[in-house]
Amino acid sequence: MTLTRLAFKTLLQRPARTLLTIVSVAASVAVLFSLLSFNGGYQAGLKKQMQQMGVHLMVVPIGCPYEAASLVLEGGEIATYLSDDIVEKIAEMEGVAIAAPSLMHAIVRPEDGRTDIYLGIDGEHLALKNWWRLNDGRKPGAALLNNPNSLLMGWDAALIERREEIGEKMWVPEIETEFAVTGILEPTGTQDDGFFYVPLNTAQKLFDLDGQITAVQVRLTDPALAAEVADELEVAFPGAEIIRMEELLGSMTALMDSARALIFAIVAVVIAISGVGVLNTMLMSVFERTREIGVLRATGAGRLHVFGLVWTESLVLTGIGGAVGLGLAAVAARGVESIIKRFVPMAPVEAMTQFDPRAALICVLAILGVGLVAGIYPSLRAANIRTIEALRSE
Amino acid sequence: MNTNGHVVQATNLSKTYSTGGREVEALRGIDLTIAPGEFTVLLGPSGAGKTTALNVVGGLDRPTGGELTVAGEVIAGNGHRAREGQLDALRRKHIGFVFAQFHLLPTLTAVENVLVPMIWEDASDRGRAEGLLRRVGLDHRLTHRPDELSGGEMQRVALARALVNRPALLLADEPTANLDTHTRDEIFELLRELSDEGLAILFATHDHELAERGDTVLRLSDGVIADD
Repeated sequence: MTLTRLAFKTLLQRPARTLLTIVSVAASVAVLFSLLSFNGGYQAGLKKQMQQMGVHLMVVPIGCPYEAASLVLEGGEIATYLSDDIVEKIAEMEGVAIAAPSLMHAIVRPEDGRTDIYLGIDGEHLALKNWWRLNDGRKPGAALLNNPNSLLMGWDAALIERREEIGEKMWVPEIETEFAVTGILEPTGTQDDGFFYVPLNTAQKLFDLDGQITAVQVRLTDPALAAEVADELEVAFPGAEIIRMEELLGSMTALMDSARALIFAIVAVVIAISGVGVLNTMLMSVFERTREIGVLRATGAGRLHVFGLVWTESLVLTGIGGAVGLGLAAVAARGVESIIKRFVPMAPVEAMTQFDPRAALICVLAILGVGLVAGIYPSLRAANIRTIEALRSE
Repeated sequence: MNTNGHVVQATNLSKTYSTGGREVEALRGIDLTIAPGEFTVLLGPSGAGKTTALNVVGGLDRPTGGELTVAGEVIAGNGHRAREGQLDALRRKHIGFVFAQFHLLPTLTAVENVLVPMIWEDASDRGRAEGLLRRVGLDHRLTHRPDELSGGEMQRVALARALVNRPALLLADEPTANLDTHTRDEIFELLRELSDEGLAILFATHDHELAERGDTVLRLSDGVIADD
């Protein structure tokens, strides 16, 4: 028999109350752990996705640059456009390796409950995405877009359309056009998988946007030139917004940091409330066990023993709650992630939450700290109970 | 104070409470000596001061006057006053308590209840606890919780708990008050056996019949031990 075992067994005297307190502690730990894990995963995922894009600058029509960037990255229709004659000028600028224009257009299909994103691109776009591979292992070349009715499909897009064969025809009634599938891309784990890629000229004609583009994605010969080239682009094209991807990542992170600070404040309040719950549980337990504490003193327990016992109970309570909370958070991570992704801008496609031992350690230390603090007052009360009065109490 | 080998030696022991703005003299100069193996019965009606006497001797309460030495430790006398830590250690090492209401911890098994006093000594000897439970006739109830035991069985567990740290003195505050006559006699006989083996016992009761079976009977009335 040890003090810890005695503390554990004592908590079983009021199982319902102990269980409720554990649940409240577990809930706050689960939220804290999910947030910590999510935050790390989100930043890492976003950075990886940005790096994978191989884009250092993005030229978009004037407006909210972050909204525009988000739409270009995730798919969506930008209501304003750029003239495609800027592409050549950008390509000729010093430090620019690739300038890839694109025209994005959405076809809404309410009967199927989906929106198809068509992206008009040219060979430069394929050069920019030099990690793309076709599902037969080949590297996609500009020849795939030679025919005006060529259609290069992202992996998910092909899956949704149930297209598997090269040369298959696909009729799109909304624009009364029949495309011929020239290639299907291997999955990339990004939003690219969901797009339908058609030749830029075809997109401009089909969507009545002759000479217009949505964005120019720029790869530099040296990423260190980003600031310098961005300045030159701003001077050269006053009607366009220049977005540095590095800045975009920073801004997104800053935005998340602000949201995180607010959420952490709420979590801190939740944890404080669960701490008060622990304090209340322990205090009630001490009041109810006054005579029992008197008996313990009669068997030779000193004040420090009694203090230690009640403090240990508080730690056991929060410790179990913490462990349950971490388990819950780990089990429910995927579900929570899918909910969070709906509300977070530019959420990376890959998993944003993963078991982070450092986050788990922070949670355990935080909740044990709560247990230690919440246990002090009840422990002092218990230690100061007068033995004679305790033995007389009912 | 020279104890002459006595486990308890009290001289002119008094205890005065202040309650409701008035002074209550619970003990008024009692003298008491208990030798090893002596079965002393403190007989008296409710309110006579029996529990106060046991609490003072057991270091749960402090005397307001007189001299008291228990197991060689001076509790009070000649201006000396034992520190609280000393009293805790005295109870832990030398004194066992048995109460009328048993006072077992409800979520612990019989063995675990017996082991509780060992926790304060940073020790745990399950073998000894089980041995004591067998000694008091509970070898078939080792892992039962108090709600699965009868009154007599609970008192036997409480007795084993009081003995686990090998005390020199057992303080029993009406331990048979809540038991039927048969069980009362069994518990009393058990105590007698322990006394015969060398344990000093101070047994408080209002039961005259039981009192007559002790080695020494002290009649307590209004805080004073009456002359025989």
